[in-house]
Order: sequence, then structure tokens, then C-alpha cells
Amino acid sequence: MLVDVGLRLAWRNLWRHWRRTWLTVGAMIFSNGLLIFAMSLQFGSYDMMIDNSLHAYSGHLQLQHPRYLDEPKMRYALDNVAAIAERLRRELSLDSISARAAGFALASSEERSYGLQIVGVDPVHEPLVSTLPGLVKQGRYLKPGAAGEIVIGAVLARNLKISVGDELTFLGSGFDDSFAAGIVTVVGIFESGMADLDRALAQVELGYFQDVFAMQDRGHSLIVRARNIDDVESLQAQVKALLESNQDISLRHWEELQPGLRQAIQADMASNSFMYVVLVVLVAFSVLNTQLMSVLERTREFGTMMALGLQPARLSRLVMLETALMTALGLVLGIAVGLVVNLYLSRVGFSYPGMDEVALKFNLPERIYPAISLASMTLGPAAVAIGSLLAALYPALRLYLLTPIEAMRAV
Amino acid sequence: MTRLFSQFKTILTLSWRNLWRNHRRTGIMLGAISVGVWAMIFMTALMRGMVDDMLNQGISNLPGHIQIQHPEFLDDPSVVNSIDEPRGDLLAALENNGVRVWANRIKVPAVIMSERESRGINLIGIEPVSEADISGVPARISKGRFLESNQDKGLVIGAKLAERLETRLGKRVVITSQDPDNNLAERGFRVIGIYRAELAAQEESNVYAARGTLQDLLKIEGRVSQIVLVDDDYRNVESLYRRVAAATPAGLEVKPWYEIDTYLAVMFNMMDGFVLIWVIIIFLALSFGLVNTLVMAIFERVREIGLIQALGMRPGLIVYQILLESLMLLLIGLIVGNMLALVTIKPLEDGLDVSVVAEGMAMMGAGSVIYPSLTLYDVVLANVVVILLGILTSILPAWRASRLDPVRALNTH
Amino acid sequence: MATKLANTNMAFSCRLALLLGLVSISSLLGAGDTEVLEPRELIRAAMEHWRGVTSYSEMTMIIHRSDWERSFSMQAWTEGDKLSLVRVTGPKRDAGNGTLVKEQNMWTFSPKINRILKVPSSMMNQSWMGSDFSNKDISKSTDIIDQYDHSLLKTETVDDHLLYTIESIPHEEAAVVWGREVTVIRDDFVMLRQEFWDQDDILVKEMNSTELKLMDGRVVASRLRMHKTETPDEWTEMIVDVVDFDVELGANLFTLSNLRNPRQ
Repeated sequence: MLVDVGLRLAWRNLWRHWRRTWLTVGAMIFSNGLLIFAMSLQFGSYDMMIDNSLHAYSGHLQLQHPRYLDEPKMRYALDNVAAIAERLRRELSLDSISARAAGFALASSEERSYGLQIVGVDPVHEPLVSTLPGLVKQGRYLKPGAAGEIVIGAVLARNLKISVGDELTFLGSGFDDSFAAGIVTVVGIFESGMADLDRALAQVELGYFQDVFAMQDRGHSLIVRARNIDDVESLQAQVKALLESNQDISLRHWEELQPGLRQAIQADMASNSFMYVVLVVLVAFSVLNTQLMSVLERTREFGTMMALGLQPARLSRLVMLETALMTALGLVLGIAVGLVVNLYLSRVGFSYPGMDEVALKFNLPERIYPAISLASMTLGPAAVAIGSLLAALYPALRLYLLTPIEAMRAV
Repeated sequence: MTRLFSQFKTILTLSWRNLWRNHRRTGIMLGAISVGVWAMIFMTALMRGMVDDMLNQGISNLPGHIQIQHPEFLDDPSVVNSIDEPRGDLLAALENNGVRVWANRIKVPAVIMSERESRGINLIGIEPVSEADISGVPARISKGRFLESNQDKGLVIGAKLAERLETRLGKRVVITSQDPDNNLAERGFRVIGIYRAELAAQEESNVYAARGTLQDLLKIEGRVSQIVLVDDDYRNVESLYRRVAAATPAGLEVKPWYEIDTYLAVMFNMMDGFVLIWVIIIFLALSFGLVNTLVMAIFERVREIGLIQALGMRPGLIVYQILLESLMLLLIGLIVGNMLALVTIKPLEDGLDVSVVAEGMAMMGAGSVIYPSLTLYDVVLANVVVILLGILTSILPAWRASRLDPVRALNTH
Repeated sequence: MATKLANTNMAFSCRLALLLGLVSISSLLGAGDTEVLEPRELIRAAMEHWRGVTSYSEMTMIIHRSDWERSFSMQAWTEGDKLSLVRVTGPKRDAGNGTLVKEQNMWTFSPKINRILKVPSSMMNQSWMGSDFSNKDISKSTDIIDQYDHSLLKTETVDDHLLYTIESIPHEEAAVVWGREVTVIRDDFVMLRQEFWDQDDILVKEMNSTELKLMDGRVVASRLRMHKTETPDEWTEMIVDVVDFDVELGANLFTLSNLRNPRQ
């Protein structure tokens, strides 16, 4: 009952100066909407950046020889990779696990040679862990069991002046350091847009690779792609449990495989957080202004109420209640605005001039879509609400200093 | 004339006094404006600093503002795709047309070998006189010296590479590459200098020798990989690009930096847009408070305004007076905000260390230290936006105040 | 004296897994009374002699690593210091692989792909057939002798033989990474030991003759072992099983077509 009276009083007080209230609430709606929009877009682009970067090549998790990460030498290999991959796929009932072996070689045409990374892959499972097979623009991807086939990047094809159907000779060092040489037929040319891959990456069938590079049944990595980025941690625990007995295999999280990715996100988050904080502070100023004014102009009124026996605590609770109501209004309307903007953008996507270049650099699609999540929808508004309530503390607490006599004399 | 002036003076005084009638409210609004302006300038300076760093590093890694090379060189940087040193028209254009710096460069893939390790590198043949303006490596020598002549016999390598090779200043290493006829070209070099770079990848892969020495080694007398030009300002290379392109013989490719690295170009183009958007967003957040303040100030004075109107003050003057009040508020806020920005940016001039996320910064192409860059353009932009839009938002409340009905206003309690 | 000896040893440390080294020793032995000749004269004589010498040999190469060991059997033909051809005869997996060295260039042939590939300069520092010798070690010629300054460190007498210890310091621009190389040579020109020191004067790798034999009328280091000082359990050993000097070689022996389709 008492609360109800307080609430009604606070509500009525708010509309005594409806312009002022709406302006303050307007500032909140604006900030809330903007924060929701910006955060959803930001989280959305991070998700895509992580997903696309990892899906492009490295996967979410990799199993490697413990020393391979720091020194990717052919010598640091895992035994029997195909069998381990098979076992993991079975035990985890996850198909997106694929074995790879990699070596350095020179691809030759006539008198020229170009250094490249030759990777032996499992043609059946590779497309499930990497987008590269899908980026074959001419010809086709590798077929299972097809020795003597290779897919190469577009820039390498241009440099070697070869196209689909042509032969290519490569020469490298095998597992035992002996010459590893092969003649392969180019069956596909991929174009990823990433200069490093297009210039210097080639894929052959794993069995063929193992044969040519004298690897026997060895390989260098098992690429694991989780169904969802959020599953990575639990998947990591599962794989770890399966490998417990084996000290010769290290399980690498994507953050170890691509430390730049997480850090780029952190750097971006830091600069964005600064902007968010500034916005919240500006809203807080607005609230402070409004509430201080509203308290000051009611000094006489409050003085009277105190003279009638009302405790300062109840008065300051009233002021806080008013603020809370304003904040709630701003919160609800702000979230509504943010939601509408987000829903719209999640249909049409968001883009700005020049984004395709940036997108390429960070493995983003050309339009980004906001990630509508509980966090992105509520984090910003919550910060605004807390900032507002904190700002109102000063005017509310000032009431404790009020003495009824002086207050009633106030203008 | 004097009357107009004295009238103006009166209104000025009036506005000033009115402004401080409610010092708390004015103080809070000033605080908001100051924080907003500070945030505009501070954030912009940081972002500018980062993007400048990315652009400078990106351009000095290309290197140069304009490059002339074999059309296949960028895809395939091999000794085969080399070109003649400039002659005739091109040489004349380079020498006479106010080109600030130009230089011949060689860049070929090579293998460097120490007693214990060998690694693939980019072997870069440079002309020491102009290198400071091109890649900036001479200024980043951490040990020893940079190359001194086009025939210098020494080699300058990055600190990271030295570490990888387990070698150091003063020791000899062997460089192996091939000549255009595919024959082995190899030679011992003494490491005369070690440089540091913001990006570890550069330190590890770029190795510098004198242009003449490499021409001898690679048996490419009179030929180079690239001709590199640096103008006064990378922001403005269009006219130089056109002049040089006109003088370049057919069969060669002339490219400005923004075509060689389109990511850099986009970063460059987006930066101004980003600054504008940021400034406007902050302003919008501020504008609610600003309007609020003015509305309240007018509300309090409804009777008073009615009175002076009844006494014959023209509505126009009321608008002026309120706008002037708003202008004063904005100006003081701007002054404080600008000073705050200056005071906070100054101590960061030596750089803001963000090395915790160094690899992330490297991914974006920036170094691990941000040097805020306070540009006149950005400061002017922030101030102009705040003043102009500030006045603009004040017009409505001011106009409404001037349209008050004196009789009703006087009757308001 | 010292200069001459060093030059000879440099030469023979280089070529084709040392086979040519054997030749050079023998050739100098043939030249006879070395004590009398001036060092310069001797180098020249050695070189002259060198040019004419041909050889055919059968060798075994053992590559030992901490966790595995492999061995190859191979045939080799040489003429002077600039031409050589090596063909692997076993094990089966590698049989038929060939290496041809002509001047500074090196080609490799693999029957599996039935193709000849020129070894690019960027791979010259890599290991030759997985051994502790690099492709460069195999293809170096005596020309490199001129890129060092040689001096005699000491002489001593062991088992009725005079041993010369010679230090060779590469010239500033020589394509040699070592700070210095130290060679111990016997008075009959058999090289006993060679050390490779880095520029901080730490011993990095060494090669030792562990067995000397009289073969085809000349004393030959028939067993040589190369290993890095830091990893003593990783080494490569070359064992000369058969060697014939001054053999008749076909005119087309050192050609790419012969590398592909052996006629000899």
C-alpha cells in the first residue's frame, strides 16, 4: 500500500514537467538504442570473424605434436593420423574432424619454381572443417583416393601459367629429409581472396602425400570443427578425456592457433567500450541535471513534508523512485527501438562503403548481421540504468542535509 | 550604431547573468559538454594515431607512395620480373618534376644462412641516401649502422631474424638466391646493422643490402625490381602519379599506394567518416541535455519573459538572448573540453602501450604502441559541430519562448 | 707447404660426399715428393692432376638418428672436381634416384615420377638424401679453396706419419658460414679430421676418417663420419666399398639424358 502510494506520487511528479522528463527519457532511449545496435553488430561481427577465420582453415581445435605449434617442422608429426581421426569421429559422433599433413615444396614449371605449402588432406572430411574446398572456382576439389591430383591457389596458377588439366611437378623434402618429388595434375584452382593462401597453398590427397613425403601413416594435425563456437570448450574437454593416455599429442585451442584473432577482438572491444562508457556518462549527466533541478525546485515542498514528519529517507526514496521510473521507461522503449533496428538489420544486413576490403582482411562477409542475444540486448541498457541511478544518488542524498525551516524559506 | 552596440552589450550581460542564475544546472551541463567534447577529441586522436600508424607502416612496407614495376612483379616478385633503371623521359620526370624522393629497389626471394639455421627471406637492395624516406629502416637501427653507399658490402637484418638465426651484429651470414638464368647466386655478408620493426613479421623477413652489391650478386647490371617514389604527403599523390604515369614507358606498371594495398586505402577513406559519425553521436547524446537545460531555463523565467515582452522587448531579441545564453554555455564547455583533451593527450604523446594485444594490433596492421594524433581538422570538426548543431537545437526552445503570450505568461505562477 | 695442404683438404672435404677427397689425396700421392715442391707449385700440380682424374666407386651411406637408422647403397662416377653422378642402388624404395652435379648446378632424378628436376638455389642448403651433408656440400668444387686464407697451425708425428693441422679462414665475401675450418692431414695426404667452428669459436660439426684402406693402389679414407657436436647421436657415415681410379668414362655420362636413362 505504502509502496503503491510512493509509486503513484513518483509517477505523478515525473509528469509535472513532462518536457523535461521526456527529454531525459529521450536521452536514455537514444543511448539504449544505440548501444543495443552497436553491441549486437559488434558481437555479430566478432562471431562471424571468429567463425569465418577458423572455418577458413584452422578449425576450432587441432591435435598436433607438442612441438609443432612453435616449430612447424615435418619431423614433429603424429603417428597414425587417419586412424585417430576415425576414432575421434566415432567416439564424438562428430563428422567434422579431418587429418592433415603438411610440407614445404617447390612447384616447378619449365625453368621457374615457386615455394609452396603442400597439404595432404582427407577429401571426404576436409570440406567439413574448412571452407577452402568450397572456394574452388575452376575445376573441382580432390576426390577420395585420387593420387596425383592437386588443387592450387589462383595466384600460383597465374604465376606458373597453368590451368586445370595441366601437370605440375613439385619437389620438397620428405619426412626423412630425402627428396620428395611428384607429378600431379591440377584438378582445381581455388580463389580465397587471401593472398597468402592463393599464392602459396596447395592440397593433395593425404595418402598420396604420405607416400611421396615418406610419412608412412603420419600426419601433422587433426582439425576439429565444433558444431558451434559455443561447443568448443566442452568438445575440448571431451577430446582431452579421450587422449588422456597420450602424452605425444597436444590439443590446441583456436586461441593458440590464431592468437591475433582474439587480440584483435580485444583491442576492438577496448576502444568500443570507451565509446560506450562515454555515452553512459553523458546520459548520467542528463539524469543528474534533471533530478537535481527537480529536487531543488521542490525544496519548499520537501521542507513542508519534512515539517509534517516525513523522514528524509522517504523523500530520497521518492527521488530514487522517480529516477527508477524514468529509467524503466527509457529501458523499455530503448530496448524496443534497439530490437526493431536489429530485427530489420538481421534481415537486410549492415554494410558501409569500403566494407568489402575490411571484410576480406578480417574474414568477414560483405554484409554483417547483428547477433541478437540477451547480452547484446541488455548489457548497454543495464549500464545506462545503473549510470542513471548512480547519478540520481547525489540529488537524493542531498535531502538528508535539508532542514525543514530553511527549506521552507527557500525560493 | 552605438545604440545597436549598447543593445547588444545589454543582451550579452543579460545572457551571462541568466546563465549563472542557476549555477548548479549550468555547471552540470558544462560538465556534460566538456566530457562530450573531451571524448570526441580524445577518441578521435587515438583512432587517428592508430590509423596513421597503420597507414605509415603499411606504406613504408610497400614501400613508397608510387611504384613502377614489371606488371607481373607484384604477383610474382622474382628476379626475372625486373626492369631497366629509369632512362630518358622517365628519368627526366623523376629528376625534374619535384619528386621529393625516388629510388631504385631490388626485391627477390632468397635464403639466409648462419652456422646453425637457414631461413627464407625477402632480400631487398636499396639506395641508402633515400631509404630513410622510403621504408624508415635507417631510423630503426638498434645496433650497428645502416648501409652507407650503393656499393656497401654489409647486410642489415631484423632483430627477430638475428635471434632465429642465432647470429648477431658483426657476424657473417651467407645469402643464396638465383640470377635470371636460374644459376645459383651466393655470397657471404657481414651483418653491419640490426633493425627493429613494429611488426615482427617484417623483422623476420626483410633483409637489406646495397642496391649495387645485389646487382652484382644477381648479375642484373642496370636492372632493378622497382622504382619507388615518395611524395610530400601520402594523402595527395594524384598529380605526381599522373605525371609519372605519363612518362613511364609502355610495358611497365605504375601504381599508387592505394591501388597496391586496397585495405590501407579503405582504412584511410573510412577514417574521416568514422570521426564525423563519432562526433555526431556524442553530440546527439549531449543535445538532449542541452535542450533540457534551455527548456528548464525558459520555464523558470516564463513570467519574466512575459514581463519584458509586455514592456516592449521584441521577440527577436528574446531569441537572440536565449541563443546567446546557449552559445556561451557551449563555448565554455568547448574550452574546458578542449583543454581536458589537450591535457590528457599530452602525457600520451610518448605512446600508449597496448602490447597486451600486440598480435591483434598486428593483425589490423598497427603497432603495439598507439601515438595519439591530434589534428587541427578533427579539433575544428568537433568544435564546429558542437557550436553549429548546438545553436541549431537551441533555436526551437528559444523561438517558443519568444512566442509566449505575455498575458498568459504573466499569469503563470 | 701449409697453404698447399690446406687447399687440397678443402677440396676434398667438399665434393660429393668426400669421394673426390679420396681422389685428391691419391692424386697427390701420385705426384710424389711433396716436400721439395713450393706450396704454390704443389697446388697447381694438384689441380692439374685433379682435372684428369676419373673414378668409379661403390659406397654405402648410413644415416643414423636417435630413433632410426637408414642405409643406402650407391654408385658414383666422377671426373675432376666439377662433374659427378651418383645413383642409388638400394634399398628398393630409393633405387634409381640419381644426382648429377655439373659445375655449380645440381639435378635430381626420381624414377617414381620419371622426371629430372633442377635443385633450386633455395634448396641447396637442405640435406642431401636426408644425410648430414647438404646439397651444397655435394656440389661444391675446388674453386672454393681460393675463398679461404690457410695457415699451418702445427705439425706432429704420430705412428711414423707427420700430421699437419691447418686452419682455413673464409674470406669476407665467401659463401661460407663458418668462422674457421680446421683440418688434420697426414703426410700421405689422407685427411683424418675436419672441424667446422662457428664465428664465436664453438665447434659445430666435425668429420672424422675412422678407417683407412689401400684401395686400387692408393690409400683411401674408406670410412668417414660426419656429425654435429651438439647431437652426437645423429651422424652420417660414408663407407667406400669399391673404388677404381682412372677408369674410362663414356662421353655422355654426365648428361641429363644419362641421369634419366642410365647407359652405364
